Amino acid sequence: MTALGARNPTVKLLLVVAVSLATLALLDPAALAALYLLGLAAARWGAGVGGRRLLLAQVPFWTFGVGVLLVNAMSRPGAVLVAGGPFRVTHEGLVVGAALALRGCVIGVATVAFLASTPPRDLMVSLVRHARLSPRYAYALLAGHRMLAGLPRQWATIRAAQQVRAPLGRDGRPHEGWRGLARSAFALLVASIRASERVALALESRGLSSGPRTVWRPVPLGAADAALAAGVLGVLALVVLAAARL
Amino acid sequence: MLDVAGLEAVLDGGSGVGPVDLRLAPGEQVLVLGPSGAGKSTLLRCLHGAVPHAVPARVSGRVAVVGRSVAEHGVAALADVVGVLAQDPETGVCLADVEDEVAFPLENLGTPPAAIGPAVAAALGAAGAGHLAGRRTDALSGGELQRVALAAAVVTRPRLLLLDEPTSMLDADGVAAVRDALTAARASTGAACVLVEHRLDALAGDAGVAGLPGRWVVLSADGRVTHDGPAAEVARDAGPELLARGCWLPEDVELAVAFGGAAGEPGTFDLLPALAAGAPPSRDPAAGRGEVLLAARGLAVGRRPVGRSARRRPAAEPVLRHVDLRLRAGEVVAVVGANGSGKSTLVATLAGVLPPLAGVVEGARPGLVVQNPEHQLAGRTVAAEVAVGLPPGPATDDRVAAALARFGLAALADRDPHRLSGGEQRRLSLAAMLVHDRPVLLADEPTFGLDRHGTATVLRALAGEARAGRAVLLTCHDLRAVASVADRVLVVADGGLVADVDPLGLLREPRLLAAARLRPSRLLRRLAAVVGDAGRLRDALAALDACALLAAGAPDPAGARDPAGAPDPAGAPDPAGAPDPAGVPVR
Repeated sequence: MTALGARNPTVKLLLVVAVSLATLALLDPAALAALYLLGLAAARWGAGVGGRRLLLAQVPFWTFGVGVLLVNAMSRPGAVLVAGGPFRVTHEGLVVGAALALRGCVIGVATVAFLASTPPRDLMVSLVRHARLSPRYAYALLAGHRMLAGLPRQWATIRAAQQVRAPLGRDGRPHEGWRGLARSAFALLVASIRASERVALALESRGLSSGPRTVWRPVPLGAADAALAAGVLGVLALVVLAAARL
Repeated sequence: MLDVAGLEAVLDGGSGVGPVDLRLAPGEQVLVLGPSGAGKSTLLRCLHGAVPHAVPARVSGRVAVVGRSVAEHGVAALADVVGVLAQDPETGVCLADVEDEVAFPLENLGTPPAAIGPAVAAALGAAGAGHLAGRRTDALSGGELQRVALAAAVVTRPRLLLLDEPTSMLDADGVAAVRDALTAARASTGAACVLVEHRLDALAGDAGVAGLPGRWVVLSADGRVTHDGPAAEVARDAGPELLARGCWLPEDVELAVAFGGAAGEPGTFDLLPALAAGAPPSRDPAAGRGEVLLAARGLAVGRRPVGRSARRRPAAEPVLRHVDLRLRAGEVVAVVGANGSGKSTLVATLAGVLPPLAGVVEGARPGLVVQNPEHQLAGRTVAAEVAVGLPPGPATDDRVAAALARFGLAALADRDPHRLSGGEQRRLSLAAMLVHDRPVLLADEPTFGLDRHGTATVLRALAGEARAGRAVLLTCHDLRAVASVADRVLVVADGGLVADVDPLGLLREPRLLAAARLRPSRLLRRLAAVVGDAGRLRDALAALDACALLAAGAPDPAGARDPAGAPDPAGAPDPAGAPDPAGVPVR
C-alpha cells in the first residue's frame, strides 16, 4: 500500500477541497507552479501513479490550460509584449492566463492523486463513518460503481446483436448510422434499469436501511492522518504567505 | 413460522397470484411449481415484502414471518429473519469484494464487528465458497457468484430462506455446484425454505424427487394453489397437468407420467430400452450432405479488451484458434463447451459482427439470434420489430404478417416487445431473423430460460429451417436439446475445437463430456447405452416427449403453433389412449 493509500479517504477528500480553495486565493504563477510540482510529486510517489499514467492523466488539464492561457494572453488589456496583425499578447494577460491554467492543473493533479490512492469501498465506508453520509446512498453508489464497470462489455454485446440486421455498407461491414446507435443505447438503458432495480432489491433484502449499522473492516482515522493534514495545510499556508509577501 | 392467509397480489401489468394460503413449520422445505406466468416469483416476492414495498401491486390478505406482518414491515426490516437468493447472479451480488458482500447483511443488522469475521467465513464455507474469500466479484463465474449470494443470504442465520430460480441462469457445472451448496446451506442453517425453480430436471439431478424439498405446492396458470402436500403424492396427482403445461419436471416424474406409475419407483428407467427400440424413425439420416453454405478456415476468434486496457494492449488474445468448420445445407450443428470457452465469440465471428483475429469466414451473410432476445430488440411494436432492416412497402408487410402468424405472434403484433414473456421474446427474435431469409442461421443458447413447450417450439423451428435447406448452428448447454435436434456436435475446449462428433458419440465419450463440462442426465446415459446410433437416440427422445405429453393429456404443444406450419390434426388426444407402460408409443 502506498503512503497516501494508507491515509483516511475523508481526510484526503477534505485536503483536495482545501488545495482547490487555496488556489482560488492565488494568482501568482510561480506559487501555483510550485504547488503543481508538489502535487505531481505527491501523485507519483505518494499515490504510486506510474510515470506514463500520470502523464496521460495530465493531458486533459494541459489541453484546458493551453486554451485558457491563449485566450487570456490575447484578450486582456495591458503592456503589449508581442503584436502581429490583429493579435496582441499582453504581459498581464500572460500572467493571469498562466495562473488560471496552473490552477486547473493543480486541482487536476490533486484529484488524480486522490482517486488513484482511494478504493471506492474505503471512500464510502469512511464517508459514512466520518462524514455522516447516509449508508443508503453510499452503498447504492458502490453497487452502481460495480455495474458501471460492466457497461462497456454489455454495450459491445448489444451493438453486435443489433448489427446483425443492419444493411451492409460498401466495405461489407454492417452500417447503421445514428439511428442504430440510438436503438442500442435504448436497449442498454432498458437492460440497465432492469438490472438496477434488481440490485436495489438485493441491497434492501440484505437489510440496508438508514438506521444504525456496524462496520466489519472500518477505515482507520488516526495520528498519521492528522500529520498528513497538518503537513499539507502547512505547505499550503507557506506558499500562500510567500506569494503574498512577494 | 410463515403464515400466509388469503394472499392475493395483482401487479401493475395485470398479472398476479392468489388466493394463496400457506403455513410453514420451522425448518420445513417447500417447492413451489407451476407453469410460466403462474406467479411463482411474485408469490416469493410477497413473502418478504418486495411486493408491494419495492414492486407496486395491489395486495390483500395476510403474510406474517415469525409473527411479523410483512405489510407493516419493509423489506429491510425483515432481513434478520428472511434470506433471499434471486435468479440473476450478476445483480444478486452488489459489492466488489466477496467478503464485504457476505459481511454486508451483518453490518446492516448492527452485528458487533468482532463476530462478523467468523460468521462470514462460516457462511462462505456452508455455501461451498470458502475458497472465494478475498476474490473480487467481477472476476467470478455465474456459479461462483450465486454461491457468494447464497452465503450472503444465509450469513444472518435466517429462519426463512427464499430461493427464486437459483440455478436457472447457470451451466451444468454451476447447477451442480449450487445444488450441493443449497443442500448444505439448508441443512446447516435449519431454516425453513421456499424454492421456486423451473428447471427441476437440472436441479433435482440424479436424485430425482428425493433431491428436492419434501413438500410441493402447485400453482395453476391463473395463480391459484391447486395442490399442496408430500412430493411423491403431488408428483403423482399434478405431474401430468404440470407436464401438459410445459413445466420441466424431474426425470423420474416425467417417466412416471409417460409410462404410468409412481415417481421414484425402481425400474422406471428400465422401461426406456423398450421405448427406444420401438420409437418410430423420423428424419432422413442422410441430412447434412448438402452443399457447404458457410466455411471457416484457420479462424482465430476473440474480443478486443474493452475499456482502459484497450490502449495498453491493442491486440486481443484469441479464445479459440485454428478453427476449421463447414456448415452444410440441411444440417443442424450444435456447439458445446464450458462457460467462457468462446462459444458465443465464435458465433459472433461467424455472423460477421466480430472481426476474426486470423483466418477467414466464407459464405453468404448468416442470420444470428443472440442469447438475450432483448439485446436484439429494435422496434417499438412486435410487428415493427420483425420489419427492422427490411425495405418498407406492401411486400414487407405481407412477409411480416406471415412470419408473425408462423410463430404464433399475430395476436401480439401491436404489443411492446419489451413487455413480452421470455418465450414470446424468443419466438419474436426467431421470426425477426428468419424473415431476412439468410441461408445460414446461427443461434446462441436459443433455448435458455424457456419452459418445456418453449424449448420444443424453438427446436422444431431450427429443425424445420434445416429441412428447408438452410444450415443451422446453435450453442447449447442442454444436452437433451442437443441430442434431440443436432446432427453434429462441435466440442470447444482448451482454446480450440477438440471434436466433431454426433450427439451419441459425445454422450459415449467421457473425455469429451468432461472437456465441455457437461453432465448427461440419467435418462440420457440410459438411452445412450441402448440405442444404435444418433438418429435412434433422437427418435427415442421424440418418442418419449410424445408419449409423456400424450399421457399428460396435452395437445402437442408445438402443433398448435408449429413454426414449420404443420397443423396438428389430432388436436387434444384422448387421455384414455395413453400407451401401456411396457408397450411402445405408436404415433
